[in-house]
Amino acid sequence: MNTILADIYSTVIPSAPFIIAAYALVWAALLVYVIITVSSLKKTEAQVALLEEAIARKAE
Amino acid sequence: MADSKKVKLPEAGQWPDRMLVPALALGALLTTTGFLLAFFWVAPVNGAKLSEPVMVGDVTVTHVQLLSQKIFYFHMPVAIVSFVALAFAAYYGLRFLTTRQQRFDTCGRVAMEITLLFVVFTMATGDLWTRFEWGVWWTWDPRLTTYLILMLIVIAYFVLRNAVDDPQRRATYASVLSILAFVDVPICFMITRVIPSSVHPVVAREGGMSPEMAITVTVVMVGMMLVAFGLYRLRFRQARLAERVEALKEQIEER
Repeated sequence: MNTILADIYSTVIPSAPFIIAAYALVWAALLVYVIITVSSLKKTEAQVALLEEAIARKAE
Repeated sequence: MADSKKVKLPEAGQWPDRMLVPALALGALLTTTGFLLAFFWVAPVNGAKLSEPVMVGDVTVTHVQLLSQKIFYFHMPVAIVSFVALAFAAYYGLRFLTTRQQRFDTCGRVAMEITLLFVVFTMATGDLWTRFEWGVWWTWDPRLTTYLILMLIVIAYFVLRNAVDDPQRRATYASVLSILAFVDVPICFMITRVIPSSVHPVVAREGGMSPEMAITVTVVMVGMMLVAFGLYRLRFRQARLAERVEALKEQIEER
């Protein structure tokens, strides 16, 4: 390969894993955070419904 | 104690919650657009000068191209969002200290959680960039050091919350700590203007960004702000429901 082209690619190719890791990490962590929050939201909603039912039953 | 009737308390299920899904969707769209702009529209930053110009396709290349600089388009916006989220946490801390309403403590806790998330993003993206460019995972650069202090204070906030049982005392200490953490923000922001650093140059002093770079950073920053807002509302809704579960449990026990 042309030595000057090799010089250009010397910083481009090796940096790719670091760039991919940086972007993937942000997106993956955001996705995980959303999934955890939504699943705990669903669980809490189910708990509220159960407790409200229990209170209504006690009141009868 | 302030009269609770006079204090308007933030609540889940109000108009900001109707913006939750559109905010998250638009945020995802803008960050993806920003990512594509960063790689397919903005020219790579020039590194060292080549011994002689070379044609790549139909473009004359005169410098080594720094592809690792592309991390900047996510790194800077997430750092700014972490500062904004911390500003909200400090605001709610201040509101708690003046009103003694637990609701503001809940808001502050959720805002601090979002802060921690974005602080971790900033640290991780910055570290990957540092590792490639300088061959080290860590360097005691002034901004890195002040930002590390910020991250440690944010982590200490959650450690402190778990260590105190009394809700009123816990909220008071946490509010004070969130305000103290926010004091580090202007220090962190201004430090490179006082102590010049090669790792974190003052962009404005270095001649500013090209219009393409500025547009891309703005698109990602607006996207990240919307994502942070959406996450905050989602988590706040969950936190309010969890508080309702506790209240209902107490109601059952009392009967």
